[in-house]
Amino acid sequence: MATVEAPLVDPPRVAGARLRRGRAVRRLLRSPLAVTGLVVLCVAVLAALLAPLLAPYGPSDAHFDARFDPPGSPGYVLGTDSLGRDIFSRILFGLRASLLVGVLSVLLALVVGVPLGLIAGYFSKLDGVISRLTDLVLAFPFLILAVGLAAIRGASLSNAALAIGIAQVPGIIRVTRSETLRLKSLDYVAAAVAEGASDLWVLARHIFPNATSVLIVQATVAIPAAILGEAVLSFLGLGIQPPSPSLGTMLSEAQQAISRAPWTAVIPGLAIMVVTLAFNLFGDGLRDALDPRASRR
Amino acid sequence: MTHPRLVRLLGAALTALALAACSSVGSDGSTSGSGKRSDDVGGTAQGVKQGGTVTVALSAEPDFLDPTLAASLYSRYVFSAMCEKLYDLDKDVRVVPQLAKSMPQVSDDGKTVTIALRDGVKFADGTPFDSEAVKASLDRDLTNPQSARVSELGPIASVEATDPTTVTINLKTPFAPLTAVLADRAGMVMSPKQLKAKGDDFGNDPVCVGPFKFAKRVPQNSIELAKDPNYYDAAKVHLDRIVYRIITDGSIRAANLRSGDAQVADTLGTDDVPELKKDAKLQVLESPSLGYQGVTFNVGNIAGVGKPTKTLNQPYAKDPRIRQAFEYAIDRQALVDNVFNGQFDPACGPVAPQSEFSSDAVQQCRKYDPAQAKKLLKQAGVPVPYKFSMLTSNTPATLQFAQALQAMVKQGGFELKIEPVEFTSLLDQQDRGKFQLLQLGWSGRVDPDGNITNFVGTGGSQNVAGYSNPALDKVLEQARQSQDTEARGALYGQAQALLQRDDPLIYLYRQRNLTGVAKQLSGVQVYSDGILRIAFAGFKS
Amino acid sequence: MGRYLLRRVAQSMVTLVLATMVVFAGVRALPGDPARALAGEENDPARIAAVRAKYGLDDAVWLQYWHYLTNSLTGDFGTSVRTNIPVAEMLKSALPVTIELSLLSLSVAALIGVLTGVLAAVRRGHPAEWLSNAFALLGLSVPNFWLGLMAILYLSVALAIFPASGHVPFFEDPVANLHHMVLPALVLGTGLAAVIMRQTRSSMLDALGTDYIRTARAKGLAERTVIGVHALRNSLIVVVTIVGLQLGALISGAVVTERIFGLPGFGKLTVDSVFQRDYPVIQGVVLVTASAYILINLLVDLLYSLIDPRIRVQGEAA
Repeated sequence: MATVEAPLVDPPRVAGARLRRGRAVRRLLRSPLAVTGLVVLCVAVLAALLAPLLAPYGPSDAHFDARFDPPGSPGYVLGTDSLGRDIFSRILFGLRASLLVGVLSVLLALVVGVPLGLIAGYFSKLDGVISRLTDLVLAFPFLILAVGLAAIRGASLSNAALAIGIAQVPGIIRVTRSETLRLKSLDYVAAAVAEGASDLWVLARHIFPNATSVLIVQATVAIPAAILGEAVLSFLGLGIQPPSPSLGTMLSEAQQAISRAPWTAVIPGLAIMVVTLAFNLFGDGLRDALDPRASRR
Repeated sequence: MTHPRLVRLLGAALTALALAACSSVGSDGSTSGSGKRSDDVGGTAQGVKQGGTVTVALSAEPDFLDPTLAASLYSRYVFSAMCEKLYDLDKDVRVVPQLAKSMPQVSDDGKTVTIALRDGVKFADGTPFDSEAVKASLDRDLTNPQSARVSELGPIASVEATDPTTVTINLKTPFAPLTAVLADRAGMVMSPKQLKAKGDDFGNDPVCVGPFKFAKRVPQNSIELAKDPNYYDAAKVHLDRIVYRIITDGSIRAANLRSGDAQVADTLGTDDVPELKKDAKLQVLESPSLGYQGVTFNVGNIAGVGKPTKTLNQPYAKDPRIRQAFEYAIDRQALVDNVFNGQFDPACGPVAPQSEFSSDAVQQCRKYDPAQAKKLLKQAGVPVPYKFSMLTSNTPATLQFAQALQAMVKQGGFELKIEPVEFTSLLDQQDRGKFQLLQLGWSGRVDPDGNITNFVGTGGSQNVAGYSNPALDKVLEQARQSQDTEARGALYGQAQALLQRDDPLIYLYRQRNLTGVAKQLSGVQVYSDGILRIAFAGFKS
Repeated sequence: MGRYLLRRVAQSMVTLVLATMVVFAGVRALPGDPARALAGEENDPARIAAVRAKYGLDDAVWLQYWHYLTNSLTGDFGTSVRTNIPVAEMLKSALPVTIELSLLSLSVAALIGVLTGVLAAVRRGHPAEWLSNAFALLGLSVPNFWLGLMAILYLSVALAIFPASGHVPFFEDPVANLHHMVLPALVLGTGLAAVIMRQTRSSMLDALGTDYIRTARAKGLAERTVIGVHALRNSLIVVVTIVGLQLGALISGAVVTERIFGLPGFGKLTVDSVFQRDYPVIQGVVLVTASAYILINLLVDLLYSLIDPRIRVQGEAA
């Protein structure tokens, strides 16, 4: 789905206690799906990092004598696009850009959203204001924001990440807030407060560390959503700056020649699917592993 | 790295051989060889039955359906079936009478233009068409504050309805392009009754003289026209209804055509054309356009378009050799072959070759020579590669073009950075002079003046380059005032030489109007002006 | 309850006004304006100035906002700068398209999502769970415009099962309307189905673990009744919540889906009007989407308390 806001994970069910973390990792490693996701992710990240070494050509090297070569052509494993650029090389570099947009935007959302969520959950007086703010962002379509940003600042990787990051802030706030609410009511936090610990201390020492599990899970859901978001922005011509590729821009460029050279659209589409699927598999496994119910059964 | 140019030449040679060997087989259009492709502007309807609804996949939503206010090309597509003009174009881009009875009479001093009108013509609302209606329409074009027609109508002093079938136009100065302008939206005649009733809302329910009349419009979706029984030549009209469906994506327009959901689609993608040509149920009409696509250097636009210019403090703006070098670094033929599948034509100047004003001098071209480009850069004393950035719109086709250009000029010692922005931002930035190089084209007008003066003449409303050359201004003004085709052609030749010396605007290619039509239809035509002429088409019986 | 409702409504109004202000100022901060966008390639300064004057674009922004606010309150949303069609009319023609698309894809999503979600929860460790999971994750991972393009390429062009694009109003020809809507609804619905599936599974698991269900089982009720009536009903709460919260996402998704399938709906109107800087249309669009979002959130809260009276309404649905 072309949504940029990540689906919310179910916070109260993810037990945050660090004690259980070791067991969770073991449990995670026992799930074949999650391990598959993790392996694919590692391969994807490695491929993206090593793109300059692995790619047989530069990502924007045009070979006008080899336009639209189908996959399997000599010299071009995955074929070439409309300008005769090697699709394999572009996928590697595109992966890099897409992962970067995904990670950057989620980092941004975390940096902005987590403190706001903590505040909203912990200080009930500020809850209303922050909730109205999140409502405000959610109330008008994200795309207006993205289009506006791109119009003002031009298309670039950082702007795409910025727009997607902003759209993800409300989700992060909500998750952090409800987790904070839950943790605040726990006995040991109440005890710390009763002993006269400062609010900042309680937040930093007791609440935030215990909320990280939920946030990690939320991030594993948010990153693939951001990668899809980048593809949507590129589809609307608001993606990263050419000629550097992202998986999304490759897809959007392929549209024109889709009937003539379907592979130019099929390959980047599959690449997006595989990467986001890997993230989702891993995220799903992670959530199950952190879920106390899994051990209960 | 192989030698793309060598391979391309070889490829072209082989293609030529292959074509020579079996010349009876039509080209499938995907060959990348140079040379002229045959135009197919479509013919008149033959062997058609009465009735039927044709669905047209339209590439963009028209703006106002009001001849005075309309600014988009696409409203002209719809107007062509619904609003006839005083003059029209024929397939050779010559102006011919439509609602006028004959070509205009121009007085010796060139300042009085007399137009005789057709008799017995009625508007779609049944009211009579006469000189008063023509005057009312032209006056509205000239005086409505939001009119998009004022500048193109030129130095008109007044319009008189001399008698019911004669209109006289008085000019302040002679203005040769007027006839061609009256063959476009300014020549459309609106029903005075409807104008009175609707005022500025005329476009929501337009009434003109035409084979079809406005039926309904669904915002962002469709426009429907129905056969007009009041039309003076109704016997020539075969279809009952025309539905224009707005489908902005090129590949989806092509898909609709192939699936039979639409029978006509305009502005086909150059990558879709070879596939469509293979489809036995379809034909592709093509005609060279009158406009051009190119790149504009910002040489003097420091305060905004139309404001006084001052040479920018940039090496490329101060030294024409850098701009010339850029032109030397571009292989136009390779560009159109590679980016547009060889479907478009290289262009070196503002006047289209099929225009009656064209000449060898006007088509003068700088040959691709990357070595010469580097030499000029060295002479100009700038570091090589010379770096600068190009502003482009963000449509996939434009970006593809920009990236090919970027890759190409590298050989000539340029490092081009691409800055894609969405279209309205692009317009804003070009007006304010916030660019170094701008990729933008012009849809083209029949009279060459409409393709040159505004863009490179001093103070021209579209002179975003901020270019000013008094010698060129003089030549262009002479050409505007002369009524003699040959003399004007020679003047445009001079203008081309002047332009090429300074290269504020480098003309690169000329699009072809590529229109897909189902073979079950007969009589769809698209001339050089790009307008879809479908009013007299019909389904084959 | 009444006081709570009042407070929620008041809060919503504040959010609404804020949203309109942000958008109003925001679109005016974009480069270019509707007059320039309208002129397109035919740049004629005098005409641009006239269009600006007609739409009051030279007035102070607060004054423009005041006019907009007062006019909106009387139901006058102005006319499109680009086409001169009244904004109200444009909204009226676009809304049913998007509502229909949303409802259809929601139905598709809910049907698939709840079914697979229940299956995955009930058949833990069974291949059915794997399949359901794989399906859901795949749905979450496919770029939906890509899916749309592929659907057009293979189902419309190659096989000619569905029309490639376009729209027929429902009341003109319901059959043709639905025929045109099948692909878009499926494409838009797949991602949402995944979200619903995951939530259904998770809340089903929860419900199945509660004493309430254990009691039902202990009373000897048939497994089908236990799952169908007791567990599922509780899980539906979550589905309703998700549907409410996903509305924004649904509209964002609709933008792309509508663009690909040429549906003249709200999403397409939104993006096109921003690209065209058609201020009156953008403002109308945002007013409607923001109101809808707020209204739906309100309704979700209320529904929530209706479906499960045990839940005390607290102001947050999640």
